[in-house]
Amino acid sequence: MPVMNSPYNGRQPSEFRILTELEGVPNSRSLEVYKKHGGYAALEKVLKGGMSPDDVINLVKASGLRGRGGAGFPTGMKWGFVPKAPGEKYLITNFDEGEPGTYKDRYIAELNAHMLIEGKLIGAYAIGASKSYIYLRGEFYGEIAWCEQAIKEAYDAGYLGDNIMGTGFKHHMDVYIGAGSYICGEETGLISSLEGKKGQPKLKPPFPAVKGYLGQPTIVNNVETLAAVPWIIRNGAEAYKKFGTEKSAGTKLFNISGPVVRPGCYELPLGYPLKRFIFEDCGGLIGGKKLKAVIPGGASAPVLTAAEIETITMDYEAFAGAGTMLGSGAVIVIPEDVSMVHVLENLMHFFKDESCGQCTPCREGTGWLLKMSRDIVNGEGSPGDAEKIADVAGKMMGRTICTFSDAAAGPARSIPQKFAHEFLEFYKSKQNAAQAHG
Amino acid sequence: MSNQVTLSINNQSITVPAGSTIMEAAQKLGVSVPHFCWHPGLSIAGVCRFCMVKVEGMPKLQIACNTPATEGMKVDTVSSDVKDAHKWALEFHLINHPLDCPICDQAGECELQNYYMKVGKYQSQMEDEKVLKPKALDVGDTLVLDTERCILCSRCVRFEDEVTKTSTLGIFNRGDQATIGTYQDRKIKHNYSYNLADICPVGAFTAKDFRFKCRVWFLKETKTVCPGCSTGCNVNLFQNSNQREYYRLKPRHNADVNGHWMCDTGRTMYEHLNASARLPAPLLNGETVSSQAALQAVTDTLKSVSADKVAVVLTAQFTNEDYKATLSTLKTLLKGTPKVFVWRDESEKAEDFDGILFRGDRNPNTRGMMDVFKEQGVSPVMLKGDFSALASAAAELTLIFGPEVEAGYPNLGKALSRFVEVKKAVYFGNTLNESAKKMWLRMPVKVFAEKSGTFVNFNGVAQKLKANPPVFTAVKGVDEYFADLSKMSQATL
Amino acid sequence: MAYVNVSRDPERNLKNGYLATSLVGMGTTLVTFAKQVFGLEESNTVQWPEVEYQYSERFKGAHFLTKRPDGRVRCTACFLCATNCPAQCITIVAGESPDKGVEKYPVRFEIDILRCVFCGYCEEACPVDAIRMGPEYSMAGLAERKWVYTKDYLLERDAVKRKVGEKQISKKDENTKHDTVDSTLPNIHAHGPGHGH
Repeated sequence: MPVMNSPYNGRQPSEFRILTELEGVPNSRSLEVYKKHGGYAALEKVLKGGMSPDDVINLVKASGLRGRGGAGFPTGMKWGFVPKAPGEKYLITNFDEGEPGTYKDRYIAELNAHMLIEGKLIGAYAIGASKSYIYLRGEFYGEIAWCEQAIKEAYDAGYLGDNIMGTGFKHHMDVYIGAGSYICGEETGLISSLEGKKGQPKLKPPFPAVKGYLGQPTIVNNVETLAAVPWIIRNGAEAYKKFGTEKSAGTKLFNISGPVVRPGCYELPLGYPLKRFIFEDCGGLIGGKKLKAVIPGGASAPVLTAAEIETITMDYEAFAGAGTMLGSGAVIVIPEDVSMVHVLENLMHFFKDESCGQCTPCREGTGWLLKMSRDIVNGEGSPGDAEKIADVAGKMMGRTICTFSDAAAGPARSIPQKFAHEFLEFYKSKQNAAQAHG
Repeated sequence: MSNQVTLSINNQSITVPAGSTIMEAAQKLGVSVPHFCWHPGLSIAGVCRFCMVKVEGMPKLQIACNTPATEGMKVDTVSSDVKDAHKWALEFHLINHPLDCPICDQAGECELQNYYMKVGKYQSQMEDEKVLKPKALDVGDTLVLDTERCILCSRCVRFEDEVTKTSTLGIFNRGDQATIGTYQDRKIKHNYSYNLADICPVGAFTAKDFRFKCRVWFLKETKTVCPGCSTGCNVNLFQNSNQREYYRLKPRHNADVNGHWMCDTGRTMYEHLNASARLPAPLLNGETVSSQAALQAVTDTLKSVSADKVAVVLTAQFTNEDYKATLSTLKTLLKGTPKVFVWRDESEKAEDFDGILFRGDRNPNTRGMMDVFKEQGVSPVMLKGDFSALASAAAELTLIFGPEVEAGYPNLGKALSRFVEVKKAVYFGNTLNESAKKMWLRMPVKVFAEKSGTFVNFNGVAQKLKANPPVFTAVKGVDEYFADLSKMSQATL
Repeated sequence: MAYVNVSRDPERNLKNGYLATSLVGMGTTLVTFAKQVFGLEESNTVQWPEVEYQYSERFKGAHFLTKRPDGRVRCTACFLCATNCPAQCITIVAGESPDKGVEKYPVRFEIDILRCVFCGYCEEACPVDAIRMGPEYSMAGLAERKWVYTKDYLLERDAVKRKVGEKQISKKDENTKHDTVDSTLPNIHAHGPGHGH
């Protein structure tokens, strides 16, 4: 892919401001500042400008906005799945943000939660929901307070309630605080948790858009997805499509972690070259270390080697083409001096702890993968173990209710495959150490 | 035909109602798809991931239990990738299973064992330590729970939530630490608890009643009907044929009567079948006699009395055939109809119903008995707590057909002490109750497991019993005794 | 048809004379006796019952039950020996062990030794090395003796103690529950083992 001919050559990330417009603005969380920057104009346009719910859905469809939580499903299409029949419907915001390395939703709430509320109101209008929830991870104390504050302000300003802006549109919003489980970030797991049950994904069919929260049609959207909606309504679908690639439109928040000079949350258009992002925008690796690998989309995305990122761009299609995924946009940089054996063990520990334990392949498989990778780390492994890990992981893929098992299998397959030499070296060094010792 | 869909499974075509799952279609076709969590009497959980099948046109393997059958669908359950999926699903189930089969009561009827022989037979690759969990937990008066053996299929949780609505059980913790257990300070106490041991595909729940008593491969099952109440649940009765010892009952599916379940009261219906709980031979004035001699004594008495001096006291625990033989023989021999009384326990609340299966009428054949009365033109008198009607009949000979299952007759002793007051009481029954000792003649009879006959349940469903060889070979059924009686009288005429 | 008479001629002994042949035989006896008396040849005869013949270690004689290191019976009453026994001579009654770590143990364990065919299938079937066929081959007794070996007899009889001794303590991996496994209801608020970070 001719990345260096990308249209973003020479343009700085500061030029792409949709979600981070309020970055650096003093007192950005307040309603006044938000309104000064065009806040709630989109809602007014929708409610008072005579847009029908279908108009909103079509506009979002035309913008090419895709779910920013990880799966990248087109948002407008998802809203269109909700049956038009009367009855209670729910719009739920997934603010669980449990993917390791991800902190984009928190950043939005930190800048201004009204963006989310306005996006939610527009989405609710589009699907005909009169009640919506923000499902928040329990550990996000600040975000909980900011969201609650913003909801209160919105109620006081008449943007929420039984008669919003005098148009007769009724909508109520509430914050629900989860207890902190990775799997509650999965659509149906979140719904189970919201219903007061153990956070376990539900069997599909039926799909949540037909039968979700309390058996009613339910849409679950990521914070970032909804926060982008007001901008799209205000500026139109075409303006949004100017950013990004043909199939991956718009901008996305990327979180970079690892030993880079300037880690943090960046708003970038999709299709931005990954190498340029790491080495130019983030200033490269600390101390001039060599890059070994990159996990491009949170813990569940298969790992890319330094060679593989040479030309890759950050969009749904390019990542899928490389056998990994954009996921939540959490870029984890692994330098040369970190052993991939330890990376594997670390990731497996995470997945073993977070498997909900419902489906057998995942429940038993994640524990088994951890045990095997821990054996290798402890020097109790044998040369065939890396293949066995990849083999077992392969048998976990596509066999469970949700995609958690696939997520755990992703790194468990890609790391031993792409870094087989490191595993061999690891055995050798451990063996040598044992011999020297004994 | 729009509400029917036709699909093919392994190239065999099958038509099922629309909305059926592949699993249901496969069951109908007789194709076995391995499964743990799916149970026809419970909701679909789809968590064991064992019932993987290949559906043409779908990229991934699908679970048969939750995939709706559609018109023209092509399903494959035998291809190599499906077999591989089954093998691996089993491997995942077994990696943390303790394999303490030698001390597990489920061994021999364990789904893990069965499926290992059917679709497994691999060399396990698991070399690490297994996850340890609590064992031999006391979770109620009837069950023992071993959480290590549990494969977390959630059948029991769903049973508690959906059938008994008691919700005692839950799965706690997550990942491979997920553990089945009762909610804090709660015990399993309802009348359907043994069903949990039945539906548990492994030995996580074992019945205290059966615990360590016998290995299941020594048992032989008989399909029969539970005599515990008027519901008449279809059951399998398990007997060790070597020792002539009965050990347990399990429900047998019948959609019209009991579905998949039976109650704990019904589970005790094996206890009165074993030799130690039964009268082994006839007792005439307390002396053991042959049944020939006993029947001769009855024949002699019958000859000397008129029909209105003979009273018959019936309980609704005998078969239609028994009642018919009794009444028609007596009518022939006496050339008239004897006085017929129906004995019900005074505490009985026949109309009670627990909403699932168990009924207050603890007699299995009330309806059948009434039908026979109608057929024989008999109008019975009810004895319930008040026995004055029997006393005033002043019968010379009273034939009493006592309850086989005494659990429904808590006032049995009291009633028996009233019966001994009558002249020449002949008691058909196996009771070892002290009060029965003073009866003139006591005749042991076959129990429900030993006779072939008919019970008619509360709803009018007539069901056949199947006969096992009797525990005491000389003991006969009521119908056989009366056939003998009839022959003997004719011979002496 | 020609016959070859291979039968011994009944007249032969008489022809040769009884005495002569008897003396030859006696001579052989005396020579051997003398050789053995003066230690020129070793005797093949065992002085039973003063001297016991030593069979191979693998001899499958009368059964005994092995023990755990603490001396309790090792058998878990799984009934596999009884199931496998072609003579159906093993009777087991299982019960709940007072030791929670063991769970199941035989309350009664009896072998009807008169029915036993010494096939060794019980040994083969045992998953915990609890029943073995020992070196004891001398099992004769009088008719009034009880011919059903009880659990105590299988565990504690003197012949086994003398001949097997310490070998009666099975060294196979312990078949008890792990120490960390408690028999209490799972506490939903507690972290299970290995759950920590």
